Formats: sequence, structure tokens, C-alpha cells
Amino acid sequence: MENSTEDYRIQSFDLDTQMLLKTALKDPGSVNLEKVSNIIVDQSLKDQMFSKEAGRICYTIVQAEVKQNNGNVFRRNLLNRLQQEFKVREDTRRRSLQEWVCYVTFICNIFDYLKVNNMPMVALVHPVYDCLIRLGQPDALMNEEEVDCLVLQLHRIGEQLEKVNVQRMDELFFLLRDGFLLQEGLTSMARLLLLEILEFRAGGWMLSSTAHKYYYSEIAD
Amino acid sequence: MSNWLRGKECVANNSEHDKRSDGPSRWSHCRKRGIDGNLRANTEANGSNGEKSRHSDNSYTHSDSRHSSFTTPESNGPVTRCNRRMDWGSQMEDEEMRRGVHKDMQRYRRRILAAEGNQRERKTSSGSSESCDSKEGDNMETDEAVLLRRQKQINYGKNTLAYDRYLKEVPKHMRQTGIHPKTPNKFKKYSRRSWDQQIKLWKVKLHAWDPPAEESQDKVLNNIEDLDIDDVMDIELDFPPLTDSQAPSASLATHSLSLEDEDCSGTPVKIQKTENAAESGVTANC
Repeated sequence: MENSTEDYRIQSFDLDTQMLLKTALKDPGSVNLEKVSNIIVDQSLKDQMFSKEAGRICYTIVQAEVKQNNGNVFRRNLLNRLQQEFKVREDTRRRSLQEWVCYVTFICNIFDYLKVNNMPMVALVHPVYDCLIRLGQPDALMNEEEVDCLVLQLHRIGEQLEKVNVQRMDELFFLLRDGFLLQEGLTSMARLLLLEILEFRAGGWMLSSTAHKYYYSEIAD
Repeated sequence: MSNWLRGKECVANNSEHDKRSDGPSRWSHCRKRGIDGNLRANTEANGSNGEKSRHSDNSYTHSDSRHSSFTTPESNGPVTRCNRRMDWGSQMEDEEMRRGVHKDMQRYRRRILAAEGNQRERKTSSGSSESCDSKEGDNMETDEAVLLRRQKQINYGKNTLAYDRYLKEVPKHMRQTGIHPKTPNKFKKYSRRSWDQQIKLWKVKLHAWDPPAEESQDKVLNNIEDLDIDDVMDIELDFPPLTDSQAPSASLATHSLSLEDEDCSGTPVKIQKTENAAESGVTANC
């Protein structure tokens, strides 16, 4: 059943690449894993749907590689490629907002899926915070696309992130409160998203049922 | 680059610094507890590494402006003291090894406790007068830097075709002390020299299982699936000898066998083990 979603995601590649990815999932030792990791990152930076789910494919390949020969070639290449992109993130953001949003979505998805001994990967904690805090800056809050990405990531990995580093989560939420309260020119949609995420964290990374009703039912009584 | 960004790096580096500085202190605490009365501050394990880390920590406490010029802005800082590799992939490999070593250590401590229990029962029943006071836990190597260095050496030895073949051809319960190579025990206190020599001998012995000139990769890969978890674990499950002798003695061999085979059901030695357990269980009840 897991395979079906993977197959679905893989459809977006050309046939050769599909074959390569399928082989990587089954027999990672027989393919060039650096190439595979680059394909996945490249696609994630282009396709937001893919970047939201790419973590699962990466997870499967990592598991397969460990099982096959206790290797971590794929993970190493994936992380190092992510690091390269991280270094040029400001340029990326200037060049293409969409690619930047895809990058954040992807790195957060990797943070969510790939664990080392069931713990989040420490190498990613600060980079992920750096990205999210960048999304919380005044200029980014002006773009609904970025706000949308920010709150989505916080819904998914906020709780885990806070567990590994509370101070930086506080830092981020100071920004978000200020943005919500003081920043002029925010769209009401952006304010709505910010208010919801503020309530979400305040409720222990949960929405109360009344809050849920407020944010998610189109027609309130 | 904006001011904002620069400020960001400072924050990142600061919190990194916080994380780093509780590392060493946690370990020095462990060391104090670990050794029989002696402060370990001057022992060889500490001498080079410990000093160095303390120095670098001091440099971290200096003003931020100075410190940031010493580190790559984007880095998360050194993860371990033996490897100062900066890329995320290597950082996670180091981290994985570090966590693995800690896990092994807990496991090894449990083994020691269980083994000491067993040993004591035996001693009393055989009427030996030797005291059982010496706790093996006290003689354990707990210095993270040393353990990581040793683990790395072991990994090099295990990451060979010869080792894969050895695992396949000689199952754990068939191995005999003195005949088959045995991974050196990284948790025992050894001098650097002694340890390196053990590693060297172990590797030389492993070469006996070097593949014949033409060994297909496929076959090796297939073999891997037949391994059981115990083979992948790198602790030798013997418990440390109560005497100081470094060479494994014959009496220990039986003991280590009985422990090693805990996970291999259906072997003759397994039966012996359960008998032991039952026996000691009875004595404990009396």
C-alpha cells in the first residue's frame, strides 16, 4: 500500500528515471545513489507536491540501503546536497519564491521522515529553524505563499522541533506574534493563518474543538 | 547579505555553543564515577583529548565576534571531538556512531551486571575463597573519544568482504577462543598500544577469510540476508574477566560462550546456558 503512493509520486518522472528510482527502492546497491539523491532534490525544488512527500521515498531508500549493506551513501549525498542549497537560500529566494518554498517544504519533510536511532537528525535542527525563521520575517510575511508554507511546516513538525530546541521556537513565535499584531499590510488570510498557528502552539500543538470549528467550518452556526 | 542574516548566524552559533558545552561536562562526570577512587584528570586517555577539548571550549566562551571568525558561518560546529567534519552527511554519520556507542555501552553494562550475578553464584557453590568485590563496571572504558576511536577501527575491520565471509562461514556459536578471530572489546581498559596491537592481530586473522581472487559481489550481497542481528552487533558479549589477565583464558571461554549464545536458539550451548540459569535461579531462591 505504501508502494502505491510511491508509484504515484514517481509518475511525474520520465521512464528512465522511474526505472532508476524503482531500482533504488529495491536494490540501492546497484544504482548510483548520488545521482538518485540529486534527481530527488531537483524534482523537489521544482514540484511542490513532490517536495511534500519526497521524505517518504528518501526514507525507503535509506532503509533499503541500510538493510542491504549497512550503507548510508544516499543519506550522505542527500544531506550534503541539502546543505549546498541551504548555503544559497537567499539567492534562491530572490530568484524564485516558488523554489524557495519548495526547498523549505522539502528540508522539513526530510526532517520529519529521516531519523537516526529514532531521533531527529541534529544536523538539520538549526537549518530548519533558520528557514522557518526566515519565513517569519516581515518581508516574507507579506507573501501568502510563504506564510502558507510556514504554517504548514509548523503543523507537521512544530512539536518535534520544539522538543529539540525550545529557545529557537520561542524566537520564531516572537516574530510571528509581532507580525500578526504589528505588521501593516498583511492580508487577512495571512493573519488568519498566523492566528491559527499561534493558537495551535498555545494549545500544545493541538487545536481545541471550538478553535477547529472556527478555522475549518465554512458555515458557522 | 542583510544585517538580519548576520544576526541569525550569531544566534545559531550561540545555541550551538550551548549544546557543545554541556557535552564534555557530562562526560567528565561519568569519568569521575567510573574509576576506583582515582581522579582521571591525568590519565592518558584524558591527557590529549580532554585537554584539547577544554581549550576549545574556552575559546568558545570568548566574545562572539572573535569566535565567529574561527568557524564556518553555516556550520553546526564540530559534533565529536575526534572528527571535525563539517558537512551534514558526515555530521550525521558521526552522530549515528556516537549514539550507537552509547547504546552499546548501556547494553554492555547490563551484561556485566547479569554476568556478575552468575559468577557470584558459581563462586559460592564451588567454595572459592576469592573475593568478588571487584566490580567490572569500574574498569570500563567510558571516555567517548576513546570509544569512538576504537569503534572506528573496528568498523574498518568489519567493513570488509573477509569479515562478511567469516560471519557466514563461522556462526557465532561455533567460534573458539584462540582459533577464531575475536573483535577486541572496546569497553575494556587497555593502553593505546595494547589496543592497537589487538586490532592489528584481529585484522591479520580476518585476512584468512579474504575472498578467493574471483568472488562475485552478488554472492556477498545474498549472504548478508542470512545474518542474524547478533552478528551485526559489534559487542562481543563476553563479560570481562575478574582477573587482570588480558589473554582470554580457557575458563572464560565457556562462560563467554554461554552468554554469547543467548540469541541463537537451537544450539547445544544454549541448553547449557539454560541449565546455568536454572541452577543459579535455584541457588538464589535458597
